[in-house]
Amino acid sequence: MIKKLSIPRETTSIVFLILLFVSVGSINSSFLTFNNIMLNLNSSVIYAVVAIGIAFVIITGEIDVSVGATLGLTAAVCGSMVRDGNVTMGIIYAIVFGLSIGLFNGIGVTVLRIPSIIMTLGTNGIVRGLIYVYTNGKWVENIPLKFKAFSQERIFGAFTWFYLAVIMVMIISYFLMTRSRVGRYFKAVGDNPNGANLLGIPVNGTKLFAFALSGLFASIGGIMYVSRVGFITPMAGSGYEMKVIAACVLGGISLNGGVGSLIGATVGAAIMASISRVLVFLGFPSNYDNTITGILLILVVVFDAVLQAGSAEKMRRQRLAAKIMHIKTTVPEVLVNE
Amino acid sequence: MNSIPSLKKTVFRWETFLIILLLFEVIVFGYINPKFLIPRVFFGSINNFMTICIVSLFVTFVLITGGIDIQSGSIVGLTSIFIGVLWKDAGINLYVACFLGLALGAICGALSGFFVAFTGVQPMVVTLGGSFLYSGMALMITNFSSTESYKGINGFPKEFTQFVKGRIFNIIPNQLVIFLVLVIIAYFILHKTTYGRKVFLCGVNKNAATYSGIKTKLIIMSTYMLAGLGASLAGILLTAYLGTAKTDLGKEITLPVITAVVLGGTSNLGGTGGVIGTALAALVIGILRFGLSMADVGTQYLDIPVGILLVFAVAFRFAGSNPHIRKYSQKLERALPFKKALTK
Repeated sequence: MIKKLSIPRETTSIVFLILLFVSVGSINSSFLTFNNIMLNLNSSVIYAVVAIGIAFVIITGEIDVSVGATLGLTAAVCGSMVRDGNVTMGIIYAIVFGLSIGLFNGIGVTVLRIPSIIMTLGTNGIVRGLIYVYTNGKWVENIPLKFKAFSQERIFGAFTWFYLAVIMVMIISYFLMTRSRVGRYFKAVGDNPNGANLLGIPVNGTKLFAFALSGLFASIGGIMYVSRVGFITPMAGSGYEMKVIAACVLGGISLNGGVGSLIGATVGAAIMASISRVLVFLGFPSNYDNTITGILLILVVVFDAVLQAGSAEKMRRQRLAAKIMHIKTTVPEVLVNE
Repeated sequence: MNSIPSLKKTVFRWETFLIILLLFEVIVFGYINPKFLIPRVFFGSINNFMTICIVSLFVTFVLITGGIDIQSGSIVGLTSIFIGVLWKDAGINLYVACFLGLALGAICGALSGFFVAFTGVQPMVVTLGGSFLYSGMALMITNFSSTESYKGINGFPKEFTQFVKGRIFNIIPNQLVIFLVLVIIAYFILHKTTYGRKVFLCGVNKNAATYSGIKTKLIIMSTYMLAGLGASLAGILLTAYLGTAKTDLGKEITLPVITAVVLGGTSNLGGTGGVIGTALAALVIGILRFGLSMADVGTQYLDIPVGILLVFAVAFRFAGSNPHIRKYSQKLERALPFKKALTK
């Protein structure tokens, strides 16, 4: 039983992703080529980066719906500077902006005690407005070809540099989160903030750190957006927050906090990005995209919740049975005497 | 030091604050642009933010039970395109179509409510899935229409649009009257019926509510249904006002709606709040947006003040229970001995 429960949650999502690929491949065999699978994974790169960032926040039991706007603003900042020839400055400024938005969220949630959904919803509005202030409502265009080409370059014909970086980040942060002391704080805080506090874990500091990471990763996503998409509208990145949260949930991260891993977030992002391509290969119009995503999200989550409730109930019964057995075997005389 | 003031006192104070804020806005914007104070313009402004007002009224119910609803915007668009397609392409009577639209909104809300209440999934995730699902359904419905989806369905009969566009005495728009009637209905349901008390109890303590014989799951589900119903009503009114049925109506209302509900004094943790506060806060936000746009601020920038207002209002509200601030206020109290003498 314990063995059964200890199967990592992201395994289910990996199995689901493989099943999705295989089943679509059995209908349309051109889907299952190496090239196409790599295309699918590479196209999920922005979702994956932002999902890894937001996963830190969700694992600590909070939520961040400002990542879409953060991505848009940092993309606009980076894009306009790259256009003027300042690649390094563009990247540095984007990261500084992303980090400071994340810290702003974190301070609001930890110091001012504003519920995270409200705080980040407010930040979302403010940052989205700042994009209009920064760009005057104009598109940022004419990104140098060299910068754009970087996102298309593939190593050994497989992953792009970006996706390789995502995999590296994923592996490093996976080990940090499972093996290092500070990394385990995230799950502890998400699982039981009061308990974590009693153990001497800096709950507020961890949450602040998580929000800063979320902003940082959103800004990296923004830089990738500039390179991949090549033009930035004022509405760039809107709706990303929802897709990314959905990706985390599909990857087995619980919004209650304390459960999930960054691998799950990456796999969830791959699932999210694959859905629209899958529809094309199955011959559906691509505007079924949202419907399928919605149904999938609800089904996955409901299925998971029902399973969890079932196993929790089973565990409770087993504990109760064990307790009764214990009483029967250890203190029968007392019961008989009374 | 009484840390928890009585509920009635807090609500009263907060709503007074909102009224003062509203008056302040009227004075400031009237000073910046005198045209703002012309009754026809001033009252007519509600036409611009009617959707937010109506949706937030019923989303209040959901937040009081401790949930959250971010799918209402997509239900607005879904209802709009649904009645458009039923009327134009299926040839159904427009008013029957409106009725079916309301039913659809209620069903959509009830579906999400069912998943929230009966499976124990976080409301945030379910309504997130719902927002994908319903906006996707709206796009699917356009496939049945002969009109291109980006154009929207036009040409509604005049009496349908005129009712919403019309004004009493040529000054007070009908929409304002509809809004006031809805406020009264929502107030009555939430504050004057046993159902409303049950909604509050579900938010305060769900287990206690269950043990006292309240069918909490049904109550929670019904709040989502009400929110869906409110959203579809807003969708119908918006369709009639604009004269077009489109899928992307109400796409951007999630931020203002949650802002209105929370600014109105409803806690997102459930248990406290009220309809009057929400209605006032919706007006505060609406008039803020309208007044700023009359003061020559671009409409794209309007999310900035709304976001700042949301953050500050909530920070202000939570200041009382904030240990950091409380620490300072206690220090201050110790430093001021005469206050103790006063309270004695």
